[in-house]
Amino acid sequence: MSPRIGDLLTYLAGIALAALFLMPLLWLVSLSLRTPAEVYLGAARFIPEAPTLANFRQILTDGAFGIYLWNAVKLCALGALGAVVVATPAAYAASRFTFHGKGPLMVGILMVQMISPLVVIIPLYRYLDRLGLLESHASVIAVYMAIGLPLSVWLIKVGFDAIPQALEEAAAIDGCNRAQILWRITLPLAAPALASAFILNMIMGWSQFLVPFILLTRDGQLPIAVAIYNFAGSSSASTTQLLAAACLVAVVPALAAFLALQRLILRAIMAGAVKG
Amino acid sequence: MTGDRRIWLWFMPVLVVLGLVFAVPVADVIRLSFSDATLLRPVTGYGLGGYRAAYGDSSLPAILRNTALFTLLSVISLQAVGLAIALLLMRGDRRGLWGMGLLRTIVLAAWVIPGIANGLIWQMLFSEAPFGAINSALRLIGLAPVAWLSDPANAMASAVIANVWQGAAFSMIVFYAARRAIDPVLYEAAALDGASAPAQLLFITLPQMRGAILVNTVLVTIQTLNTFDTILVLTGGGPGRATEVLSLNIFNRVFYSYDLGGGAALAVLLLAISMILTLVYLAILMRRGAR
Repeated sequence: MSPRIGDLLTYLAGIALAALFLMPLLWLVSLSLRTPAEVYLGAARFIPEAPTLANFRQILTDGAFGIYLWNAVKLCALGALGAVVVATPAAYAASRFTFHGKGPLMVGILMVQMISPLVVIIPLYRYLDRLGLLESHASVIAVYMAIGLPLSVWLIKVGFDAIPQALEEAAAIDGCNRAQILWRITLPLAAPALASAFILNMIMGWSQFLVPFILLTRDGQLPIAVAIYNFAGSSSASTTQLLAAACLVAVVPALAAFLALQRLILRAIMAGAVKG
Repeated sequence: MTGDRRIWLWFMPVLVVLGLVFAVPVADVIRLSFSDATLLRPVTGYGLGGYRAAYGDSSLPAILRNTALFTLLSVISLQAVGLAIALLLMRGDRRGLWGMGLLRTIVLAAWVIPGIANGLIWQMLFSEAPFGAINSALRLIGLAPVAWLSDPANAMASAVIANVWQGAAFSMIVFYAARRAIDPVLYEAAALDGASAPAQLLFITLPQMRGAILVNTVLVTIQTLNTFDTILVLTGGGPGRATEVLSLNIFNRVFYSYDLGGGAALAVLLLAISMILTLVYLAILMRRGAR
């Protein structure tokens, strides 16, 4: 087979795959721009004849959706920040010091990653209930933080590993103590790794459903993923276009964050998944 | 460095958080699995009652069969699709073809969509109402509509498709990284010997990527076993119980039937499977590390 025919086939397969992966999102956009009458036309009219933003207007002016979005941002940002802050000292120690039991400790942290939140949410629900902490954002943030920790420790450790130790030694000779070295030299150099860990945690937190669904019950506290689940339960065939718009509102922030920071995220997944 | 005692201080925050949110609850789930607790009533006694009730439940064999089928089909498809895209991207990169970065971005975009939204999107696509996307498209080209979600066999396939659409990006990245790490000299030598493209795939690419495939199998299996939000929205476990997998069953049992003991007993099973797979994963990593 000549390389040119191979290229052609590569293009064809690539286009088919791109279409396959784009279609569901485009369909969602198509539905969200339709009037109820046009929803009933199905695929017969992919591009609406009378596109309308009314569905988005209705979703976004319903004050609750703004609150759901804000709740989601708050929960995942604080959870991600907490995970990075708590993971950093451990990652630093794992990168710089050798000590007895380090291997098993790091493997133990990795194993936590494999435990489904479904397993731990059962007792957590009971503890928090007994402590009167159900329905508090603080407890949800703490659980998000814990879920993000194992990956964060490993990712940030890889980041520290890449910083030459000679830089720290030079600073020590210049008379810096350990805290100064960490604060002025090491942490700024590790900033890309810290940022990747933060963003990856944010995106994973945005997808969380189980933890907030179980731990939060008051409507005003819910993040967007739980809110659209509830909204779907209360909607009917005649409100498909509204559900599509609500769904897009929940998806777009994650997509935008991903598109803006793609390189960083890609590097983080590779470091996390492949190097383990 | 300083003595061992001070080194543990660096790990204190991580250990405290993981201990409170994971270690203690895991121990508690194991304890609860031997109890008769419900969500509404504390433990009044211990025994194997929860296990007997949960594992003797007449619906359990069907649920385990669903779980096995969903996991098997998902893992095979996720890896096949991920591998195909990774190899396509690699070929495009090598030939300097346009748009490969775009394709990668599109596939990855599906990966950041929340599971709940994923289920909703696919429900709109599979909808059996006259205006459902796929069925109305089928009708346009003169084909009969398909009962995507109301026929038990199709519903399982639909759930797998939705899961694969969202998850394929992860396998793609793992395989893409592994494929790039293969020494190009191997392919040059094979080309000199006149090896065809399929032969190169079979005798160079796949054997060289064996480690990545093994690691990916374990990771994707654990992910799939723990997935239930997509299914929850797409089919709710139905029709009947045709798509109710173990994780969804635990969720329903604890939080809708309040059966804490029985749910915990099944959660222990889910945990045990994940931990066994994790040990396999670690064994593979260590063997690769030793080489």
